[in-house]
This record gives sequence, structure tokens and C-alpha cells, in this order.
Amino acid sequence: MAAALAVEPPPVAAPVVDDQALIAATLAGRPEAFEELVARYERSVYNLAVRTLHDATEAQDAAQEAFFKAYRALGTFRPGAKFSTWIFTICYRGCCDRLAKRKRFSGDELPDRADPSAGPAALAERNDEAVRLRSAIDALPEKYRAVITLYHLQGKQYEEIATVLNLPLGTVKTHLFRAKEQLRKALTI
Amino acid sequence: MMHDDFDDLDRMLAALPLEDPPAELRSRILTATIYRPRPAVLTWEIWLIGTLVALAVWATWLLAAAPDAGSRLVDASSELIEAGGLNSLTTAAWLAVGVSAAWWISQMSFPTSARRIEIP
Repeated sequence: MAAALAVEPPPVAAPVVDDQALIAATLAGRPEAFEELVARYERSVYNLAVRTLHDATEAQDAAQEAFFKAYRALGTFRPGAKFSTWIFTICYRGCCDRLAKRKRFSGDELPDRADPSAGPAALAERNDEAVRLRSAIDALPEKYRAVITLYHLQGKQYEEIATVLNLPLGTVKTHLFRAKEQLRKALTI
Repeated sequence: MMHDDFDDLDRMLAALPLEDPPAELRSRILTATIYRPRPAVLTWEIWLIGTLVALAVWATWLLAAAPDAGSRLVDASSELIEAGGLNSLTTAAWLAVGVSAAWWISQMSFPTSARRIEIP
């Protein structure tokens, strides 16, 4: 009955490697470390891009470009800085360039608000809280949408949001307050 | 004075799940970064080759523009051949063997293997 008495050891959790160590490992010639960084931030970078650009295909391109630029410039990454802030900054700037290009080529002003018309499937899901919130965020003006998206992705790290958006801290707080006000009105909380 | 009384909204935001990125996004990112093939010629190599070619063209032009360039070139070549013993059959044969071996090696291709190391 040795097998029955044998106690399985508890599963050992894999040690969590911090971003700085992964960056150092990538720079030391271990590409799988960068793969781990991509796995950590792919989702949030894509969400930032898709919220900013309102276009899933273009958001994919923007996210890919952001990681490519980060990979090429990894040697210039300042030790002690946060990788999330850095990659968000690269992604957001890329999105702004894309929006500016879009505006230039279309010759029209970019709509400040998203198209309120939605397909029947989307309309049927309006009752869902998450869908309603997403729609309300999408309907915000761009400057408020960026702040609220980063607030959603990064939490109450106002300095980080200010760095990504290249805005003074006070402006970030004001934008966030107004964004929340508009969201609350839209959602009638 | 701004009062942050958005508790309900903050709760909704905290509970809002992130959208899933398309399945192929990660492979696209990795292909563009860590699995990107190394360019056949690097930028500094292009500059080096360009500089050498320019120097060669310049030197050729200098030689060709000199008076009696043709006869001087023939004289210099024959002197070089005699000095190096290239007019002997044995030397020519060894030279041919060396050139053909170099050409044969240049035609070989070696498979590259991806290096995978576990992260500690």
C-alpha cells in the first residue's frame, strides 16, 4: 500500500520573474524572455490600441508595431522604469500617429464620438453591463477615452497615465473626473 | 473641489474584462521581433562594401587615365606572374584546386537551429 500512502507533493508555483529580469534576459540573448513579456502585455496593449483607434484590424497592427519598436529599443530602456508604462507610451503614440494620418487622408475632422448606430446583435446585448460600459467608453471624446482606458488598464496610477499621455498630472485628474462624469450620465448610475 | 464619488463606476470598471486579442496577434508580434530573420547584409556591411567598391572604381579610373596604362599593366602583370611562380603548371593546378574548393564550400548551406532556453 505504499502507493496509497505516498503523498503527492504540493504543486510548486513557478517563480514570477519581474519585467526588469525579463528585459535583461532578452538583452543577454534569450528571446524566450521577450516572449514572456509579450504574453504579459499583449492583451492590455491591444485593448489600449482598440479603444484608441476603434478598429480591430488597425489595433492589431498598432500593437505589433509597439512591440516591434520596444524590441528594437530595448537597449535604451531605463532601468527602474516600468515596462508597462513604456510599452503603453509607445503604443499610444503610434495610435495618435495613425489617427493623425487617418484624419489627413480622409480630409475630414475625426468624429469626436463613435457611431451610435450598432448592429442588431449589439443592440440585443445592450442590457449587459460590460457591453453598456464599453459602448459608453467608446462614445467618450478621444482625450477622455484615452484617460479612462489607461485608468482601466493601469488602475489609479495617475503619474503613469500622465507619462503615457504626456500630460500634466492635474490635467489627467481633470480629464478622468470629466470622463467619469460623462460615463455616469451615460450609464445613469 | 472635485469629489471622487464614483464608487459604482469604479466597481464596474474594475469588473470590466479586457477584450481578447485575435489569436494570431502573438505569433505576428513574435515573428516581427524575436523570430525575425537576420538581414542577409547589415547596414554597416552595406556601407563597407559601398566604400570598397567606390575605392576600387576610383583606383581603376586612376590607372586607366594614366599614360601608357595598357602596356604598364601588361608589364606589371607579367612581372607579378614571374615573381609569384604562377607560370609553372604545378602552381596553376594548386590554384585551380583552391578556387574550386572555395566555390564548392560557398555553395553549401548549413541548417540553423532555434535555441530554446527555459526562463529560471
